[in-house]
Amino acid sequence: MTLELHHVTKRFTGVLAVDNVSFHARAGEITGYLGPNGSGKSTTMKMITGLIQSTDGEIYFDGQSIRSDPMGFKQRMGYVPEEPHLYQHLSGLEYLTMVAQLRDLPAKPTAERIDGLLRLLSLHSDRHVPISSYSKGMRQKVLLSAALLHNPDLILLDEPFSGLDVATSLVLRSLIQELAARGKVVLFSSHELETVERISSHVVILHHGRVVADDSIEHLRTLMSLPTLEEIFSQLAVEQDTAAVSRDIADLIRA
Amino acid sequence: MATNSKFRVLYRQFLFRLMDVEMLASSAQGDSSSLLGQFGALLVFGSVLLAWVAVAVGGQIWRHGSLADVWGAERFLISLTMLAVGVFALLNWDATFPDRSDVLVLSPLPIRGRTLFAAKIAAAAAALALTVVALNCISAPAWALSLAPPGATASARWRFVAAFWIALFAAGAFIFCLVLGVQAAAAQLPRRWYLRLSPILQIGGLILFLGVFFFQTTATGWQEWLPSYWFTGLLSELSGVFHARAHPLMAPLAERAVAALSIAIAVAGGAFLLSYLRTMRKIVEEPDSAPMRRGGLRLPRFGTQPQTALAHFAIRSLFRSRRHRVILAFYLGGGFALTFVYLGIVMDLAHLSWTGLLRQQNVPVMGASYLILLAAWAGARMVFALPLDLRANWLFRLTPPCTGVASLSAVRRAMLTVTVLPVAFGTGVLLLAFWHWTALAQHLVVLVLIGSILTDLSLREFRKIPFTCTYLPGKSKVHMVFWFGIIPLVFLVHKLAELEDGLMDSAAGYGAMVAVLVAGTWAARRAANHDAAENALEVQFEETSPDELLTLGLNG
Repeated sequence: MTLELHHVTKRFTGVLAVDNVSFHARAGEITGYLGPNGSGKSTTMKMITGLIQSTDGEIYFDGQSIRSDPMGFKQRMGYVPEEPHLYQHLSGLEYLTMVAQLRDLPAKPTAERIDGLLRLLSLHSDRHVPISSYSKGMRQKVLLSAALLHNPDLILLDEPFSGLDVATSLVLRSLIQELAARGKVVLFSSHELETVERISSHVVILHHGRVVADDSIEHLRTLMSLPTLEEIFSQLAVEQDTAAVSRDIADLIRA
Repeated sequence: MATNSKFRVLYRQFLFRLMDVEMLASSAQGDSSSLLGQFGALLVFGSVLLAWVAVAVGGQIWRHGSLADVWGAERFLISLTMLAVGVFALLNWDATFPDRSDVLVLSPLPIRGRTLFAAKIAAAAAALALTVVALNCISAPAWALSLAPPGATASARWRFVAAFWIALFAAGAFIFCLVLGVQAAAAQLPRRWYLRLSPILQIGGLILFLGVFFFQTTATGWQEWLPSYWFTGLLSELSGVFHARAHPLMAPLAERAVAALSIAIAVAGGAFLLSYLRTMRKIVEEPDSAPMRRGGLRLPRFGTQPQTALAHFAIRSLFRSRRHRVILAFYLGGGFALTFVYLGIVMDLAHLSWTGLLRQQNVPVMGASYLILLAAWAGARMVFALPLDLRANWLFRLTPPCTGVASLSAVRRAMLTVTVLPVAFGTGVLLLAFWHWTALAQHLVVLVLIGSILTDLSLREFRKIPFTCTYLPGKSKVHMVFWFGIIPLVFLVHKLAELEDGLMDSAAGYGAMVAVLVAGTWAARRAANHDAAENALEVQFEETSPDELLTLGLNG
């Protein structure tokens, strides 16, 4: 089971957001998808989910183009979007129940599964509270539960650690590893390079919409003779002299 | 930045935020000005129509009518302005107080509370002034000039025009302050109570305003308690043209208008200032939504799992979105007001009392239940097409929803649940004590069948999940046709009720009517299902405007 991107390109009215991106994410592996803001990570994620169409190129999952059976593909995919946009007038329980119903999951076992997820993610006491009252971390937990409800084969996580407290972040980190160990394809994007370095076996680094690195972290370290992923990332995808920019900002606000 | 420039920046922001741009279709490019322009154009169009009536019949009132007819025309314009301002104030209920994001964004900035307060009030007042001006820009001068007594000098006529404007603004300000005062008084309650009470007050206000507007013409004996009469008195006293004859009658009304306006301004201002200061703190401290009951809203299954999800989503969204509930209440309020007027007229013609009306099977009650059904249906159809939270739609785009006939079936069931069932249930409960149960059952069967036909007719070409599709300015014209066509519709409803009443006396006749309605229900459902099956794979999330160009297809 592999997620394959072949020469995927996305152009928004003249702006090239994703440029000829190709990589593989394999079952049992955790693929970290990295890049600075605006590099095209979320656009790629949305193309994989089918939320937006690619301008060019093809995406395959388990050997089949995702366009050939989009409904079947979506049944096998779980997605946590970058922004926690949820229907805020529903409670956490109502939202998850609706997701389960939309996925046509059997009612009784799913209700038990939802209950379990809410308990394990410490949302159970707030399950009847409208999502509009939830904190960012709680919303992120709802999204995560919704993405895992149907036991998907492909898990796409766009900034999944955003807003989570330390304990839940640690749980999520282990969970991602556990899911990969159970044969799922996991693709996740994050700005937390330390976390990515700890759990990913393979990283894809994007810069200005193009892939600048697609390898295991170990191999990249050896190849670039750099000790950490942060330094590798800085060399490949950070154009600015961060110290100089900091000085300039401090000077500017003083003027 | 000086306080004045801060005020200007905030005032501009708040004024343009009265229009919710997030619900617009992307083809409208987030441009609220076109939507604002449409509302403005609609009001100006109403003003042109009223001016045309003034030109056509205004002069005749003096020739053939009495002073009471002149006052009747003036009172109508004042009532219409009060209704427009009242509805506007209720629809913008949430815009008068700062919302959570306002407080979170603006509080850390060095802006004084009073600047924020003044900008909010100024924006709301400016919008209200624009509403009054747009509605009366042509009709007010036209009516004032045509209602001035024959022989009045030019200066007297222009004084009459000025008095007309003063009375209209005063009436508008009174209603605005009344709404503000009620809202501010409610805001003194704990915030969660205030949040629960707000929609009830909004809906009650809409029903009250529409009911008073339609019903005041039939009110005899208590006109002196109706604000529109007070401001007609104010107009009469300010204009000076009717002074000698009208003064004894109109002076007390004018005094009442001045006193009422002063009290309304004082109470609203004080209560609003107090609540503003308290609300700012409460908004940050407490969630911006009322907590729901434990277990939420329990609903039955509506078919398969995805169908149940869609139907539950539609019903919950309707019950929990204040904006949608208020729009539905506007239709229901209009429906109830129209029903009262209809009952009043028909009861007069049939010499029936209210108790006599309920005690027997009769045409007016049947007609009334149809009118309420129509209002509920039109309102529900309208709000189903308005979006709730477009950014959260990714879920429906990603999770394979049921499409085609299955999706239509879920939407149909949801719509029947929020329109036909409550109307039929309410009619049943109200009449069970008075009508024989067989007559009631017969009427309810007809009511449900008509509701089902209307539902299916309105869902033809509906390829949306309720509350998820963007809104394109211009779509409201269908609903304006509904409101403008209301008089022929009432006549049609009355004829239908007469037909039903006549046929219910004979088993064969009633059977034939039910058979025709069942056939109609089947045909409407079949047509809707056919359309849905043809568009089985499409779910519409984005409203698009029709093509401007038509091809002639001459290429062979």
